Amino acid sequence: MIVYDVDSLCKIYPGQAVPANNNISFQVCEGEIFGILGDNGAGKTTLIKQMVNLLGSTSGSILLYGKPVTHDSLYLPSLVGYMPQESHALNQLTAGEALYYSAHLRGMNRSAAIDERNRLLKFWKMEDLRDQYSSRLSGGQRRLLRLAVATAASSKVLVLDEPTNDLDPQKRRLVWENLRVLNRDRGKTIIFITHDAVEAERVIERVGILHRGKLVITGSPHVLKRNLKNKLRLEIAFEPGQAPPLPADLELHRLTATRWQIYLEQHQLGDVIAALDIDRLTDMKLSSATLEDLYFHYVEAV
Amino acid sequence: MSKRSRAQSYPVQLIDLVLIELSNWRWCWRSIVVVGTFVPLFGMVGLSIYARDLGPEALNTIFSGSLVMSLMLGNLGSIQSHVVFMRFQGTLEYFATLPIHKHTLILAIIIAFFLLSLPALLTLLIFGSALLKISLAPHPLAMLVIPLCVLPMSAVGALIGANVGNPQQGGALSILTTFLFAGLGPVLFPAERLPEILQLIGEINPAARAASALRQTLIGPLGELIALDLAIVSGFTLCVLFLVGKKLDWRARHSL
Repeated sequence: MIVYDVDSLCKIYPGQAVPANNNISFQVCEGEIFGILGDNGAGKTTLIKQMVNLLGSTSGSILLYGKPVTHDSLYLPSLVGYMPQESHALNQLTAGEALYYSAHLRGMNRSAAIDERNRLLKFWKMEDLRDQYSSRLSGGQRRLLRLAVATAASSKVLVLDEPTNDLDPQKRRLVWENLRVLNRDRGKTIIFITHDAVEAERVIERVGILHRGKLVITGSPHVLKRNLKNKLRLEIAFEPGQAPPLPADLELHRLTATRWQIYLEQHQLGDVIAALDIDRLTDMKLSSATLEDLYFHYVEAV
Repeated sequence: MSKRSRAQSYPVQLIDLVLIELSNWRWCWRSIVVVGTFVPLFGMVGLSIYARDLGPEALNTIFSGSLVMSLMLGNLGSIQSHVVFMRFQGTLEYFATLPIHKHTLILAIIIAFFLLSLPALLTLLIFGSALLKISLAPHPLAMLVIPLCVLPMSAVGALIGANVGNPQQGGALSILTTFLFAGLGPVLFPAERLPEILQLIGEINPAARAASALRQTLIGPLGELIALDLAIVSGFTLCVLFLVGKKLDWRARHSL
Protein backbone atom coordinates (compact mmCIF):
# COMPACT_ATOMS: atom_id res chain seq x y z
CA MET A 1 0.00 0.00 0.00
CA ILE A 2 1.31 3.44 -0.89
CA VAL A 3 1.55 5.73 2.12
CA TYR A 4 2.94 8.85 0.49
CA ASP A 5 2.60 9.64 -3.21
CA VAL A 6 4.51 12.80 -4.05
CA ASP A 7 4.05 13.97 -7.62
CA SER A 8 5.81 16.80 -9.50
CA LEU A 9 6.19 18.82 -6.34
CA CYS A 10 7.56 22.34 -6.52
CA LYS A 11 7.99 25.02 -3.88
CA ILE A 12 9.03 28.59 -4.64
CA TYR A 13 9.20 30.84 -1.58
CA PRO A 14 7.75 34.33 -2.05
CA GLY A 15 10.38 36.72 -3.38
CA GLN A 16 12.72 33.89 -4.42
CA ALA A 17 13.56 33.17 -8.03
CA VAL A 18 15.05 29.73 -7.46
CA PRO A 19 12.69 26.97 -6.32
CA ALA A 20 13.49 25.40 -2.94
CA ASN A 21 12.52 22.14 -4.56
CA ASN A 22 11.45 21.35 -8.06
CA ASN A 23 9.64 18.53 -9.85
CA ILE A 24 10.00 16.05 -7.05
CA SER A 25 8.20 12.74 -7.44
CA PHE A 26 8.47 9.61 -5.33
CA GLN A 27 6.41 7.15 -3.38
CA VAL A 28 6.82 5.64 0.05
CA CYS A 29 5.17 2.30 0.72
CA GLU A 30 3.69 1.06 3.98
CA GLY A 31 6.24 -0.39 6.38
CA GLU A 32 9.19 1.19 4.59
CA ILE A 33 12.08 3.11 6.14
CA PHE A 34 12.79 5.86 3.64
CA GLY A 35 15.78 8.13 4.14
CA ILE A 36 16.28 11.48 2.45
CA LEU A 37 19.90 12.50 2.08
CA GLY A 38 21.07 15.89 0.97
CA ASP A 39 23.56 18.67 1.57
CA ASN A 40 22.72 21.91 3.38
CA GLY A 41 20.17 23.94 1.44
CA ALA A 42 19.18 20.98 -0.72
CA GLY A 43 15.52 21.52 0.21
CA LYS A 44 15.12 18.58 2.58
CA THR A 45 13.32 20.41 5.38
CA THR A 46 11.09 22.23 2.88
CA LEU A 47 10.09 18.87 1.40
CA ILE A 48 9.40 17.35 4.80
CA LYS A 49 7.31 20.35 5.86
CA GLN A 50 5.29 20.07 2.66
CA MET A 51 4.76 16.38 3.42
CA VAL A 52 3.37 17.14 6.88
CA ASN A 53 1.27 19.99 5.53
CA LEU A 54 3.05 22.74 7.43
CA LEU A 55 4.03 24.37 4.16
CA GLY A 56 1.94 24.81 1.02
CA SER A 57 3.30 23.82 -2.37
CA THR A 58 3.57 26.01 -5.45
CA SER A 59 2.59 23.11 -7.70
CA GLY A 60 2.35 19.33 -7.65
CA SER A 61 0.54 17.06 -5.22
CA ILE A 62 1.12 15.04 -2.08
CA LEU A 63 -1.25 12.19 -1.32
CA LEU A 64 -1.28 10.43 2.04
CA TYR A 65 -3.02 7.06 1.83
CA GLY A 66 -4.59 8.27 -1.41
CA LYS A 67 -5.94 11.56 -0.11
CA PRO A 68 -4.37 15.02 -0.40
CA VAL A 69 -2.53 16.00 2.78
CA THR A 70 -4.79 19.05 2.85
CA HIS A 71 -7.88 16.78 2.77
CA ASP A 72 -9.24 17.97 6.11
CA SER A 73 -7.53 19.69 8.97
CA LEU A 74 -7.37 16.61 11.22
CA TYR A 75 -6.60 14.02 8.53
CA LEU A 76 -2.81 14.22 8.45
CA PRO A 77 -2.23 14.83 12.20
CA SER A 78 -4.29 11.71 12.93
CA LEU A 79 -1.93 9.58 10.86
CA VAL A 80 1.51 11.16 11.05
CA GLY A 81 3.86 11.86 13.94
CA TYR A 82 6.29 14.64 13.03
CA MET A 83 9.56 15.54 14.65
CA PRO A 84 10.81 19.01 13.67
CA GLN A 85 14.51 19.74 13.31
CA GLU A 86 14.52 22.64 15.76
CA SER A 87 11.81 23.49 18.21
CA HIS A 88 11.36 24.97 21.64
CA ALA A 89 7.71 24.01 21.52
CA LEU A 90 7.60 22.14 24.79
CA ASN A 91 9.86 24.39 26.82
CA GLN A 92 7.44 25.13 29.62
CA LEU A 93 6.42 21.48 30.05
CA THR A 94 8.28 18.68 31.76
CA ALA A 95 9.30 15.73 29.61
CA GLY A 96 6.56 13.62 31.23
CA GLU A 97 3.89 16.26 30.62
CA ALA A 98 4.93 16.69 26.99
CA LEU A 99 4.59 12.95 26.35
CA TYR A 100 1.30 12.66 28.25
CA TYR A 101 -0.42 15.56 26.49
CA SER A 102 0.85 14.49 23.07
CA ALA A 103 -0.54 10.98 23.58
CA HIS A 104 -3.81 12.25 25.05
CA LEU A 105 -4.38 14.81 22.30
CA ARG A 106 -3.72 12.09 19.73
CA GLY A 107 -6.78 10.26 20.99
CA MET A 108 -5.68 8.06 23.91
CA ASN A 109 -7.78 8.07 27.06
CA ARG A 110 -6.25 9.34 30.30
CA SER A 111 -4.96 6.09 31.71
CA ALA A 112 -3.70 4.88 28.32
CA ALA A 113 -1.88 8.19 27.87
CA ILE A 114 -0.22 7.79 31.27
CA ASP A 115 0.85 4.25 30.32
CA GLU A 116 2.10 5.54 26.98
CA ARG A 117 4.13 8.25 28.73
CA ASN A 118 5.76 5.66 30.99
CA ARG A 119 6.39 3.30 28.08
CA LEU A 120 8.01 6.03 26.00
CA LEU A 121 10.19 7.24 28.87
CA LYS A 122 11.49 3.69 29.19
CA PHE A 123 11.74 3.00 25.45
CA TRP A 124 13.81 6.14 24.87
CA LYS A 125 15.74 5.67 28.14
CA MET A 126 14.54 8.97 29.56
CA GLU A 127 13.02 7.86 32.86
CA ASP A 128 15.27 10.19 34.84
CA LEU A 129 14.11 13.17 32.74
CA ARG A 130 10.40 12.70 33.47
CA ASP A 131 10.04 15.67 35.81
CA GLN A 132 12.61 17.93 34.21
CA TYR A 133 11.53 20.97 32.26
CA SER A 134 12.22 20.66 28.58
CA SER A 135 13.94 24.05 28.65
CA ARG A 136 16.55 22.68 31.05
CA LEU A 137 17.43 19.63 28.98
CA SER A 138 20.59 19.51 26.88
CA GLY A 139 20.32 19.81 23.10
CA GLY A 140 20.59 16.06 22.68
CA GLN A 141 18.06 15.27 25.41
CA ARG A 142 15.63 17.76 23.90
CA ARG A 143 16.01 16.13 20.49
CA LEU A 144 15.34 12.74 22.03
CA LEU A 145 12.24 14.15 23.72
CA ARG A 146 10.98 15.54 20.39
CA LEU A 147 11.50 12.13 18.88
CA ALA A 148 9.63 10.46 21.75
CA VAL A 149 6.79 13.00 21.37
CA ALA A 150 6.55 12.25 17.63
CA THR A 151 6.18 8.55 18.38
CA ALA A 152 3.52 9.05 21.07
CA ALA A 153 0.16 7.32 20.57
CA SER A 154 1.33 5.09 17.77
CA SER A 155 0.91 7.21 14.66
CA LYS A 156 1.21 4.90 11.66
CA VAL A 157 3.70 7.14 9.92
CA LEU A 158 6.70 8.94 11.38
CA VAL A 159 8.30 11.88 9.62
CA LEU A 160 11.55 12.87 11.29
CA ASP A 161 13.79 15.82 10.51
CA GLU A 162 17.39 15.01 11.49
CA PRO A 163 16.61 12.60 14.34
CA THR A 164 20.24 12.07 15.40
CA ASN A 165 21.78 15.56 15.24
CA ASP A 166 23.38 16.65 18.54
CA LEU A 167 23.23 13.13 19.94
CA ASP A 168 26.21 11.34 21.43
CA PRO A 169 27.20 7.99 19.86
CA GLN A 170 25.32 5.99 22.49
CA LYS A 171 22.09 7.90 21.96
CA ARG A 172 22.53 7.75 18.17
CA ARG A 173 22.72 3.99 18.39
CA LEU A 174 19.60 3.97 20.60
CA VAL A 175 17.72 6.04 18.02
CA TRP A 176 18.62 3.79 15.08
CA GLU A 177 17.83 0.64 17.10
CA ASN A 178 14.49 2.01 18.31
CA LEU A 179 13.49 3.15 14.84
CA ARG A 180 14.19 -0.34 13.59
CA VAL A 181 12.08 -1.79 16.42
CA LEU A 182 9.21 0.60 15.67
CA ASN A 183 9.34 -0.39 12.02
CA ARG A 184 9.70 -4.13 12.60
CA ASP A 185 7.44 -4.68 15.61
CA ARG A 186 4.88 -1.93 15.22
CA GLY A 187 4.79 -1.70 11.45
CA LYS A 188 5.51 2.00 11.35
CA THR A 189 6.41 3.65 8.09
CA ILE A 190 9.38 5.91 8.78
CA ILE A 191 10.57 8.79 6.65
CA PHE A 192 13.54 10.81 7.81
CA ILE A 193 16.13 13.33 6.78
CA THR A 194 19.71 12.88 7.81
CA HIS A 195 23.22 14.09 7.18
CA ASP A 196 24.51 11.01 8.87
CA ALA A 197 24.65 8.73 5.85
CA VAL A 198 27.04 6.24 7.37
CA GLU A 199 24.92 5.54 10.47
CA ALA A 200 21.60 5.83 8.67
CA GLU A 201 22.67 2.93 6.48
CA ARG A 202 21.87 0.65 9.42
CA VAL A 203 18.15 1.22 8.96
CA ILE A 204 17.47 2.74 5.54
CA GLU A 205 15.59 0.47 3.17
CA ARG A 206 15.13 3.03 0.42
CA VAL A 207 16.90 6.30 -0.07
CA GLY A 208 16.21 9.52 -1.95
CA ILE A 209 19.13 11.83 -2.68
CA LEU A 210 18.22 15.49 -2.85
CA HIS A 211 20.58 18.00 -4.41
CA ARG A 212 19.89 21.67 -5.13
CA GLY A 213 16.15 21.14 -4.79
CA LYS A 214 15.98 18.15 -7.12
CA LEU A 215 15.58 14.52 -6.31
CA VAL A 216 18.61 13.02 -8.04
CA ILE A 217 17.80 9.36 -7.46
CA THR A 218 15.63 7.07 -5.35
CA GLY A 219 16.05 3.38 -4.73
CA SER A 220 17.29 0.77 -2.32
CA PRO A 221 20.94 1.33 -1.38
CA HIS A 222 22.08 -2.13 -2.42
CA VAL A 223 20.57 -1.77 -5.88
CA LEU A 224 21.96 1.74 -6.35
CA LYS A 225 25.40 0.61 -5.24
CA ARG A 226 25.53 -1.69 -8.28
CA ASN A 227 25.91 1.43 -10.38
CA LEU A 228 29.03 2.48 -8.55
CA LYS A 229 32.19 1.94 -10.53
CA ASN A 230 34.42 1.36 -7.54
CA LYS A 231 32.55 -0.63 -4.94
CA LEU A 232 35.28 -1.10 -2.37
CA ARG A 233 36.69 1.48 -0.04
CA LEU A 234 40.14 1.12 1.50
CA GLU A 235 41.22 3.56 4.17
CA ILE A 236 44.85 3.59 5.24
CA ALA A 237 46.73 5.63 7.83
CA PHE A 238 50.50 5.94 8.24
CA GLU A 239 53.20 7.85 10.10
CA PRO A 240 54.13 11.29 8.72
CA GLY A 241 56.51 10.94 5.77
CA GLN A 242 55.81 7.20 5.45
CA ALA A 243 53.27 7.34 2.59
CA PRO A 244 53.13 3.94 0.91
CA PRO A 245 53.78 3.60 -2.85
CA LEU A 246 50.59 2.64 -4.65
CA PRO A 247 49.67 1.75 -8.25
CA ALA A 248 49.22 4.91 -10.32
CA ASP A 249 45.66 4.61 -11.67
CA LEU A 250 43.76 4.58 -8.34
CA GLU A 251 40.93 6.89 -7.26
CA LEU A 252 42.60 8.29 -4.17
CA HIS A 253 41.34 10.89 -1.70
CA ARG A 254 43.82 12.42 0.74
CA LEU A 255 41.65 12.85 3.84
CA THR A 256 44.62 14.22 5.82
CA ALA A 257 48.40 14.20 5.32
CA THR A 258 48.55 10.78 6.95
CA ARG A 259 45.18 9.23 6.05
CA TRP A 260 44.05 8.28 2.56
CA GLN A 261 40.89 6.78 1.17
CA ILE A 262 41.10 4.65 -1.96
CA TYR A 263 38.14 3.52 -4.05
CA LEU A 264 38.73 0.20 -5.77
CA GLU A 265 37.20 -2.29 -8.09
CA GLN A 266 37.44 -5.86 -6.94
CA HIS A 267 40.12 -6.82 -9.48
CA GLN A 268 42.41 -4.03 -8.23
CA LEU A 269 42.34 -5.20 -4.64
CA GLY A 270 45.08 -7.85 -4.92
CA ASP A 271 47.60 -5.48 -6.50
CA VAL A 272 46.93 -2.76 -3.92
CA ILE A 273 47.23 -5.07 -0.93
CA ALA A 274 50.42 -6.51 -2.39
CA ALA A 275 51.86 -2.99 -2.79
CA LEU A 276 51.21 -2.08 0.83
CA ASP A 277 53.72 -2.75 3.57
CA ILE A 278 51.21 -3.52 6.32
CA ASP A 279 53.84 -3.06 9.05
CA ARG A 280 54.36 0.57 8.04
CA LEU A 281 50.65 1.40 8.29
CA THR A 282 49.12 2.64 11.53
CA ASP A 283 45.60 1.65 10.47
CA MET A 284 43.81 0.00 7.58
CA LYS A 285 40.09 -0.54 6.90
CA LEU A 286 38.49 -2.23 3.95
CA SER A 287 34.75 -1.93 3.42
CA SER A 288 32.16 -2.09 0.71
CA ALA A 289 30.86 1.23 -0.62
CA THR A 290 28.65 3.02 1.89
CA LEU A 291 25.56 5.13 1.57
CA GLU A 292 27.84 8.13 1.84
CA ASP A 293 29.79 6.95 -1.23
CA LEU A 294 26.50 6.51 -2.99
CA TYR A 295 25.50 10.05 -2.04
CA PHE A 296 28.76 11.54 -3.34
CA HIS A 297 28.55 9.48 -6.53
CA TYR A 298 25.09 10.77 -7.46
CA VAL A 299 25.62 14.33 -6.28
CA GLU A 300 28.90 14.71 -8.13
CA ALA A 301 27.33 13.27 -11.27
CA VAL A 302 24.82 16.15 -11.44
CA MET B 1 -9.80 4.99 7.91
CA SER B 2 -8.93 2.59 10.70
CA LYS B 3 -5.28 3.64 10.66
CA ARG B 4 -6.19 7.07 11.97
CA SER B 5 -5.88 7.80 15.64
CA ARG B 6 -9.09 9.20 17.08
CA ALA B 7 -9.07 12.95 17.62
CA GLN B 8 -10.32 13.98 21.04
CA SER B 9 -13.65 15.75 21.39
CA TYR B 10 -13.65 19.54 21.35
CA PRO B 11 -14.03 19.94 25.16
CA VAL B 12 -11.22 17.46 25.86
CA GLN B 13 -8.96 19.26 23.37
CA LEU B 14 -9.81 22.55 25.05
CA ILE B 15 -9.12 21.30 28.58
CA ASP B 16 -5.77 19.78 27.57
CA LEU B 17 -4.72 22.89 25.71
CA VAL B 18 -5.77 25.19 28.58
CA LEU B 19 -3.72 23.04 30.98
CA ILE B 20 -0.73 23.16 28.62
CA GLU B 21 -1.11 26.92 28.28
CA LEU B 22 -1.55 27.37 32.02
CA SER B 23 1.92 25.92 32.44
CA ASN B 24 3.08 29.26 31.03
CA TRP B 25 2.89 30.60 34.58
CA ARG B 26 6.31 29.01 34.92
CA TRP B 27 7.83 31.74 32.79
CA CYS B 28 5.34 34.61 32.82
CA TRP B 29 4.44 34.99 36.49
CA ARG B 30 6.94 37.79 36.96
CA SER B 31 5.46 39.77 34.09
CA ILE B 32 1.94 39.14 35.43
CA VAL B 33 2.94 40.39 38.87
CA VAL B 34 4.69 43.48 37.51
CA VAL B 35 2.56 44.41 34.47
CA GLY B 36 -0.76 43.03 35.68
CA THR B 37 -0.60 44.04 39.34
CA PHE B 38 2.03 46.58 40.35
CA VAL B 39 1.86 48.86 37.31
CA PRO B 40 -1.95 49.31 37.48
CA LEU B 41 -1.81 49.53 41.30
CA PHE B 42 0.84 52.26 41.28
CA GLY B 43 -0.98 53.96 38.41
CA MET B 44 -4.18 53.86 40.43
CA VAL B 45 -2.46 55.41 43.44
CA GLY B 46 -0.83 58.11 41.29
CA LEU B 47 -4.02 59.01 39.45
CA SER B 48 -6.04 59.02 42.67
CA ILE B 49 -3.78 61.76 44.07
CA TYR B 50 -4.57 63.88 41.01
CA ALA B 51 -8.28 62.99 41.06
CA ARG B 52 -8.91 63.24 44.81
CA ASP B 53 -10.61 66.58 44.43
CA LEU B 54 -12.60 65.62 41.37
CA GLY B 55 -15.17 63.61 43.23
CA PRO B 56 -16.25 59.97 43.51
CA GLU B 57 -17.13 59.68 39.80
CA ALA B 58 -13.51 60.35 38.82
CA LEU B 59 -12.23 57.89 41.40
CA ASN B 60 -14.64 55.25 40.11
CA THR B 61 -13.31 55.82 36.59
CA ILE B 62 -9.73 55.53 37.74
CA PHE B 63 -10.59 52.33 39.61
CA SER B 64 -12.36 50.67 36.69
CA GLY B 65 -9.75 51.97 34.25
CA SER B 66 -6.99 50.40 36.30
CA LEU B 67 -8.86 47.10 36.28
CA VAL B 68 -9.11 47.37 32.51
CA MET B 69 -5.39 48.11 32.28
CA SER B 70 -4.66 44.98 34.26
CA LEU B 71 -7.27 42.68 32.73
CA MET B 72 -7.22 43.76 29.13
CA LEU B 73 -3.95 45.44 28.42
CA GLY B 74 -1.81 43.18 30.60
CA ASN B 75 -3.25 40.22 28.72
CA LEU B 76 -2.68 41.97 25.39
CA GLY B 77 1.06 42.11 26.04
CA SER B 78 1.31 38.61 27.48
CA ILE B 79 -0.67 36.98 24.69
CA GLN B 80 1.12 38.96 22.00
CA SER B 81 4.54 37.83 23.21
CA HIS B 82 3.29 34.28 23.70
CA VAL B 83 1.91 34.02 20.16
CA VAL B 84 5.11 35.49 18.72
CA PHE B 85 7.08 32.97 20.78
CA MET B 86 4.88 30.17 19.47
CA ARG B 87 5.43 31.25 15.87
CA PHE B 88 9.17 31.71 16.08
CA GLN B 89 10.07 28.85 18.42
CA GLY B 90 8.14 26.10 16.66
CA THR B 91 5.34 25.69 19.21
CA LEU B 92 2.73 26.41 16.60
CA GLU B 93 4.22 23.72 14.35
CA TYR B 94 4.06 21.28 17.23
CA PHE B 95 0.37 22.00 17.78
CA ALA B 96 -0.32 21.96 14.03
CA THR B 97 0.88 18.37 13.86
CA LEU B 98 -1.58 17.26 16.55
CA PRO B 99 -5.21 16.45 15.68
CA ILE B 100 -6.63 19.63 17.18
CA HIS B 101 -8.49 22.66 15.85
CA LYS B 102 -6.77 26.02 15.55
CA HIS B 103 -9.64 27.91 17.14
CA THR B 104 -9.50 25.58 20.15
CA LEU B 105 -5.88 26.53 20.61
CA ILE B 106 -6.58 30.27 20.32
CA LEU B 107 -9.44 29.98 22.81
CA ALA B 108 -7.26 27.92 25.16
CA ILE B 109 -4.54 30.59 25.11
CA ILE B 110 -7.05 33.32 25.94
CA ILE B 111 -8.71 31.30 28.73
CA ALA B 112 -5.35 30.33 30.25
CA PHE B 113 -4.02 33.88 30.28
CA PHE B 114 -7.32 35.12 31.73
CA LEU B 115 -7.03 32.59 34.56
CA LEU B 116 -3.42 33.62 35.07
CA SER B 117 -4.49 37.25 35.40
CA LEU B 118 -7.17 36.57 38.04
CA PRO B 119 -4.85 36.88 41.07
CA ALA B 120 -3.80 40.31 39.82
CA LEU B 121 -7.44 41.28 39.35
CA LEU B 122 -8.33 40.21 42.90
CA THR B 123 -5.34 42.11 44.30
CA LEU B 124 -6.41 45.23 42.45
CA LEU B 125 -10.03 44.86 43.53
CA ILE B 126 -9.12 44.50 47.19
CA PHE B 127 -6.26 47.00 47.48
CA GLY B 128 -7.61 49.42 44.88
CA SER B 129 -11.04 49.73 46.47
CA ALA B 130 -9.40 50.17 49.90
CA LEU B 131 -6.93 52.80 48.65
CA LEU B 132 -9.52 54.81 46.75
CA LYS B 133 -12.17 54.27 49.44
CA ILE B 134 -14.61 52.84 46.92
CA SER B 135 -17.39 50.66 48.23
CA LEU B 136 -17.89 47.73 45.89
CA ALA B 137 -21.41 46.54 45.10
CA PRO B 138 -20.81 43.65 42.71
CA HIS B 139 -23.72 42.63 40.50
CA PRO B 140 -23.97 38.93 39.48
CA LEU B 141 -23.51 40.11 35.90
CA ALA B 142 -19.88 40.88 36.84
CA MET B 143 -19.20 37.14 36.52
CA LEU B 144 -19.96 37.49 32.82
CA VAL B 145 -18.54 40.95 32.33
CA ILE B 146 -15.08 40.25 33.79
CA PRO B 147 -14.21 37.38 31.41
CA LEU B 148 -15.85 39.23 28.54
CA CYS B 149 -13.66 42.25 29.21
CA VAL B 150 -10.54 40.16 28.79
CA LEU B 151 -11.46 38.92 25.34
CA PRO B 152 -11.09 41.96 23.05
CA MET B 153 -7.56 42.91 24.03
CA SER B 154 -6.50 39.27 24.27
CA ALA B 155 -7.70 38.86 20.72
CA VAL B 156 -5.82 42.03 19.69
CA GLY B 157 -2.69 40.62 21.36
CA ALA B 158 -3.08 37.38 19.42
CA LEU B 159 -3.63 39.34 16.20
CA ILE B 160 -0.46 41.39 16.72
CA GLY B 161 1.47 38.23 17.59
CA ALA B 162 0.17 36.48 14.49
CA ASN B 163 1.25 39.27 12.15
CA VAL B 164 4.49 40.86 13.30
CA GLY B 165 7.77 40.04 11.57
CA ASN B 166 9.78 39.60 14.76
CA PRO B 167 9.41 39.71 18.57
CA GLN B 168 10.81 43.29 18.82
CA GLN B 169 8.13 44.60 16.46
CA GLY B 170 5.53 42.79 18.53
CA GLY B 171 6.69 44.40 21.78
CA ALA B 172 6.68 47.90 20.30
CA LEU B 173 3.31 47.46 18.63
CA SER B 174 1.64 46.15 21.78
CA ILE B 175 2.89 49.10 23.83
CA LEU B 176 1.59 51.49 21.17
CA THR B 177 -1.74 49.65 21.03
CA THR B 178 -2.03 49.68 24.81
CA PHE B 179 -1.56 53.46 24.92
CA LEU B 180 -4.01 53.97 22.07
CA PHE B 181 -6.77 51.91 23.67
CA ALA B 182 -6.11 53.38 27.10
CA GLY B 183 -5.96 56.94 25.79
CA LEU B 184 -8.70 57.03 23.17
CA GLY B 185 -11.71 57.39 25.40
CA PRO B 186 -12.81 57.42 29.03
CA VAL B 187 -10.74 54.47 30.24
CA LEU B 188 -8.60 56.05 32.96
CA PHE B 189 -10.09 59.54 32.95
CA PRO B 190 -13.74 60.61 33.23
CA ALA B 191 -15.38 61.40 29.90
CA GLU B 192 -16.07 65.01 30.86
CA ARG B 193 -12.32 65.61 31.31
CA LEU B 194 -11.55 64.50 27.74
CA PRO B 195 -11.77 66.49 24.47
CA GLU B 196 -14.91 65.89 22.44
CA ILE B 197 -13.08 63.89 19.79
CA LEU B 198 -11.77 61.43 22.38
CA GLN B 199 -15.23 61.10 23.87
CA LEU B 200 -16.57 60.24 20.42
CA ILE B 201 -13.85 57.67 19.76
CA GLY B 202 -14.46 56.29 23.24
CA GLU B 203 -17.98 55.37 22.17
CA ILE B 204 -16.56 52.55 20.07
CA ASN B 205 -13.34 51.89 21.96
CA PRO B 206 -13.77 48.39 23.48
CA ALA B 207 -11.43 49.30 26.35
CA ALA B 208 -13.63 52.27 27.27
CA ARG B 209 -16.74 50.12 26.91
CA ALA B 210 -15.20 47.42 29.10
CA ALA B 211 -14.32 50.03 31.74
CA SER B 212 -17.91 51.26 31.66
CA ALA B 213 -19.26 47.71 32.02
CA LEU B 214 -16.90 46.97 34.90
CA ARG B 215 -17.86 50.21 36.63
CA GLN B 216 -21.56 49.40 36.38
CA THR B 217 -21.26 45.79 37.54
CA LEU B 218 -18.72 46.29 40.33
CA ILE B 219 -19.66 49.69 41.72
CA GLY B 220 -23.06 50.37 40.22
CA PRO B 221 -25.55 51.51 39.32
CA LEU B 222 -26.27 49.09 36.49
CA GLY B 223 -27.83 51.05 33.63
CA GLU B 224 -29.17 50.37 30.16
CA LEU B 225 -25.76 51.23 28.80
CA ILE B 226 -24.49 47.82 29.85
CA ALA B 227 -26.18 46.11 26.89
CA LEU B 228 -24.46 48.43 24.40
CA ASP B 229 -21.14 48.07 26.24
CA LEU B 230 -21.29 44.28 26.06
CA ALA B 231 -22.49 44.31 22.44
CA ILE B 232 -19.53 46.48 21.36
CA VAL B 233 -17.03 44.45 23.38
CA SER B 234 -18.42 41.14 22.01
CA GLY B 235 -18.67 42.37 18.42
CA PHE B 236 -15.14 43.72 18.47
CA THR B 237 -13.88 40.45 19.97
CA LEU B 238 -15.59 38.29 17.34
CA CYS B 239 -14.20 40.39 14.49
CA VAL B 240 -10.66 40.28 15.85
CA LEU B 241 -10.82 36.55 16.64
CA PHE B 242 -11.99 35.91 13.08
CA LEU B 243 -8.93 37.80 11.81
CA VAL B 244 -6.63 35.89 14.18
CA GLY B 245 -7.98 32.60 12.81
CA LYS B 246 -7.31 33.83 9.27
CA LYS B 247 -3.88 35.26 9.94
CA LEU B 248 -2.28 32.74 12.26
CA ASP B 249 -0.01 30.48 10.17
CA TRP B 250 -1.04 26.94 10.74
CA ARG B 251 -1.39 24.00 8.42
CA ALA B 252 -1.26 24.66 4.70
CA ARG B 253 -4.67 24.82 3.14
CA HIS B 254 -5.58 24.10 -0.46
CA SER B 255 -2.76 26.21 -1.80
CA LEU B 256 -2.06 24.24 -4.95
